[in-house]
Amino acid sequence: MARMKNAHGNRQQNKKRRETLFAYSWSLPSLVLILLIVIFPILYTGYISMTNMNIYHWNNYEFIGLENYKDALLVFDNGFLTALFVTILWTVVNMVLQLVIAFIMATLLNVKGLRLRNVYRTLLIFPWAMPGYVSILLWKTGMFNSQFGLLNQWMIRLGMEPVRWLGSDVIAFISCTTVNLWLALPFMITIIDGALQSVDRSFYESALLDGATWLERTRYITVPMIRPIIAPSVMITTFTTFKQFDVIYLLTQQVGSKTGANIHTILTYAYEKAFITNNYGYSSAISILIFGMLLVFSLVTNGRKEERR
Amino acid sequence: MKNKNQKRIRNRVWAWIVTAGLTIGSLAGCGSQTVEQTAQDEKTDGEVTITIWHDKEDAVTQVLEEKFAQLEPQIHVVLEKKSDLTEALKMVGNDPKAAPDMYFFAHDKIGVYAEMGILSPITDIIPAEELDAYMDNTIEAATYKGTVYQLPIYYETLLFMYNRLYMKDEEVPATTEELYAYMQENTHGGHYGFVEQHSTPYYAAGWINGFGGYILNDAGEPGLNLPETEEALAYHKKFVDLMPGETEYATVNTLFKEGMAHATIAGPWLIPTVRESGMDVGIASMPVIDETGKPIAPYMGVQGAQVLKNAAENKKDAVEQVLRVLMKDEVGIALAQASGCAPARENCYSYEEVSGDEVVMAMKETAENAVPMPNLPEMDVMWTVASGLLTDVNMAGNDVAESAEKAQKEALQLIESMK
Repeated sequence: MARMKNAHGNRQQNKKRRETLFAYSWSLPSLVLILLIVIFPILYTGYISMTNMNIYHWNNYEFIGLENYKDALLVFDNGFLTALFVTILWTVVNMVLQLVIAFIMATLLNVKGLRLRNVYRTLLIFPWAMPGYVSILLWKTGMFNSQFGLLNQWMIRLGMEPVRWLGSDVIAFISCTTVNLWLALPFMITIIDGALQSVDRSFYESALLDGATWLERTRYITVPMIRPIIAPSVMITTFTTFKQFDVIYLLTQQVGSKTGANIHTILTYAYEKAFITNNYGYSSAISILIFGMLLVFSLVTNGRKEERR
Repeated sequence: MKNKNQKRIRNRVWAWIVTAGLTIGSLAGCGSQTVEQTAQDEKTDGEVTITIWHDKEDAVTQVLEEKFAQLEPQIHVVLEKKSDLTEALKMVGNDPKAAPDMYFFAHDKIGVYAEMGILSPITDIIPAEELDAYMDNTIEAATYKGTVYQLPIYYETLLFMYNRLYMKDEEVPATTEELYAYMQENTHGGHYGFVEQHSTPYYAAGWINGFGGYILNDAGEPGLNLPETEEALAYHKKFVDLMPGETEYATVNTLFKEGMAHATIAGPWLIPTVRESGMDVGIASMPVIDETGKPIAPYMGVQGAQVLKNAAENKKDAVEQVLRVLMKDEVGIALAQASGCAPARENCYSYEEVSGDEVVMAMKETAENAVPMPNLPEMDVMWTVASGLLTDVNMAGNDVAESAEKAQKEALQLIESMK
């Protein structure tokens, strides 16, 4: 009897092992792709960061250990700390505004009896369909330009003095945030809109019968119900916002069209302090350090999410 | 039951085949190819294809294509326009399968590519004495660490341009103080007496050079905190105060093109556009800086052909023939006529088609005082640092000496980081 039990147990184990092997085999193409597209570049950057690859040693670069990391730490000076603070502020401000505005817009799109709902949805998605680079430069020349921009044309018509919208730190930060919202809101509105539609109407009907106000329905039904649905998108957007480069760089820092504002995120700062040197070893070391920071940020955020569960 | 089993086995076999195929397919690109580029390019009957990357306007490429047609059918020249030419060359310059055989670009990147070891000296293909026919400063620009890496074709300098509707010929300022007086008198109501890309290093360099300062010298040393550079920045600032806040190309050139700015310092590439808009545009010598007695001395960019090492080794004869086409006077003359390019060959100026061209001759005159853009690799970081300094002084209103000191320190640090 015991032998039969053992044999049965072995068979079960073998079956499980075979199933695991099959599962990995079916996933192999995807795993290879992930390895090639995600893992390999990170490992290769890590390798380059330990060499002296630059224009003076383009073909004959050598392994130099952690030398580049020693130099890279010099970049993490006061300027970098300021950039880190700006990056965090930028992420928080943008995410809060995105969530609030997207929630309001999505709620309005779900108002009962709203006419032309699909037209509004299409219009709201439009900024997302445009290439970011084009949108940013259109905002820069079409809206913010102090000579020809629409905003200053309105100001002049209203009898006010023209403003340099990208000329100093605070106003440039607000302008950059506006452009980032324009670019990011369509995605967030779409996600929240979809999440709102998935909430069972009967909850609201019961709440109405209990005399719940709009605020109470939002707080106790809508938000808890949509939170797990929108959480992954919020996470992704938070990372995208944290490692934002193009909005701030193209609006205020581009060589040949700097505006006088001195706002830097960690990426624009690292770009000006390292990437322009053509020293690939040194730049890779900085990239790996920033990657490490993002990894820590990700682990902390995920840890908190687990705790909430 | 048997059928069901057979079907299951068949499905499993298919799944294995598809999985294996996808895995192998994913890895296929990783293998090394052994096909020789020269074998691809050299056709069976000795015909050779020469690929040239460039970033030039259509008027220039049309002339070049016409001239290269005389090499057909033995040599087929392909001109490929690349918007990110400089970065692309860094990536593939060493790879004969992906790199071009030659490229046309300004001389300022020569140092970077020479250090990377992807360029061939021009004198390996064309005897050095044949380069005596070129203007000295163009050969100086094409030379890096004593080796000539570029065959100059034409050069560009900034020009002082004015709109005759507002600024009469007799009003054209001969000195910077006259220019300042004109700006004070005419900058109001949305109009500007004079505009330029005041905080862009390529444009501001003319003022700095005119004061005897420099952004980067021949030894690769930055000169941002030199007394001469600081003096230039402080003096230039009063002109900037009478210009718009924006420094970028689009705003400045639109102001001039739309008749809202009476005069500007801009490149020759602006002239066809403003002429098309119907403007009677005048071109004058650069104003003399009262403080130094020297004219504003802008950078000079020499456009020419650079040969990649692989092509020089594998297709030397074909490359030589292509270069010899470019060395003909007729190419310089045709480019001057088509696009107002100032030929690098001295002899071209003896032809009426060139010497009668107002724009070309104005560039030749300016070139006498112009400074060739540094072609050292260090210049790559100096564009960004100098741009930051100009923005600090002109747009953020920071103290000149403090900003210059900070920028110099940053430049030295970045140059050190390059190595």
